[in-house]
Amino acid sequence: MKTLLSIAATCVALSSFAADETPLRPITDPAPILQDLQRKMSTLRSVALDFTQERHLKLFTEPLKSEGVMLIQQPDLIRWETTSPYESILLGSQKSVAQFERTDGNWKKLKLGFPQMLKRVMDQMVLMHQGKLDALMSDFTISVATGSVAVLTLVPKDAKVRSMLASLEVRMLPDFSATKEVIMHEPGGDFTRIIFRREQRDVTLPAATFDQTRPEAISTIRKALGDGP
Amino acid sequence: MDLNRISLGLLLLLAAGCAAPRPGTITGTPPTFPPEAFITQRATLTARGRQFTLNGYVARSERGGLRLIVTENFGNVLADLLVRPDGSTTVARSSRAFRPGWISNYMASDLKCIFGASPDPGCVLAIPTADHFIIERRWYRLDLRTVEVKPGPQPSQLFEVVEPGKP
Repeated sequence: MKTLLSIAATCVALSSFAADETPLRPITDPAPILQDLQRKMSTLRSVALDFTQERHLKLFTEPLKSEGVMLIQQPDLIRWETTSPYESILLGSQKSVAQFERTDGNWKKLKLGFPQMLKRVMDQMVLMHQGKLDALMSDFTISVATGSVAVLTLVPKDAKVRSMLASLEVRMLPDFSATKEVIMHEPGGDFTRIIFRREQRDVTLPAATFDQTRPEAISTIRKALGDGP
Repeated sequence: MDLNRISLGLLLLLAAGCAAPRPGTITGTPPTFPPEAFITQRATLTARGRQFTLNGYVARSERGGLRLIVTENFGNVLADLLVRPDGSTTVARSSRAFRPGWISNYMASDLKCIFGASPDPGCVLAIPTADHFIIERRWYRLDLRTVEVKPGPQPSQLFEVVEPGKP
């Protein structure tokens, strides 16, 4: 699990996707492409986007869906907020992490169990956002294929991790300029799809967006982003 | 996250080890769920002062029983449980966070308690509002909210006998 959120962040930081069934052509040497992605990522000051997370379980005929917003800002700030069907905020910085749950109209800060684990996730996400793909390459075997879409496939090197996460697909625009979808495949056939949309780069976010004591309301953030109320 | 799960499991195991059952009580008016429905719930589990958020997905069938899937924030399945109308249970999937014994004992009991299927004597449940449930045990507190109810028949295979470990 430690990888899931970080990879989602990475993919966004890396860069949007058009679903297409056109056969993909594997790239023999992905290194130059990955280096180019790294270079592009490192120039990003901030990114804001909406996501829909679909959990596909063989057991259920319909996916389990949640929606939310993801915000990342240099040098080390991240906010992963679920807005539906429940409301929850995860915040991370280089120093600490926090989680808030909204119930009965009020936000409550949780006394997190094992915050160091969540912090590690957040740290990784920020590293990725800063374009430091080296960390990713030490944990995954990465292959790249291109066609009408570009797909990065990451297979965990660690067998223990592979027993939970068989592979991870990052689907991007053909020119690798933006990530629109991440699919996390599990060994048993279940998978999670995170669909990103309305990506905005180098945005100016309200000061309290990442405040771990009293984070800014998402409605205010959306207004600042020009999304209206 | 592996370590997180191991630690949560250990925490619950340690806490459960020194606990004694309490008599069952239900305060508040139990809500009426549709006899056939798919219900989504969000929970905060507090154990030894530490809090963990969980998502619960319950398929309910009048004839088939209850099928519960519990996931963590990002969708990983932590528990999969079938509770038949007669109250018997099968753990289809467990995790490092929730071991089979814990699921079949406590999670099953909590599920029966909320949905009124053969509630056991250990059930201590408060229902402040129709969509809010608080289960208090000596070693943990489960604050649970129903966030979505989709009425309608559920696929029969959800309630068929499952082989443990093979969802």
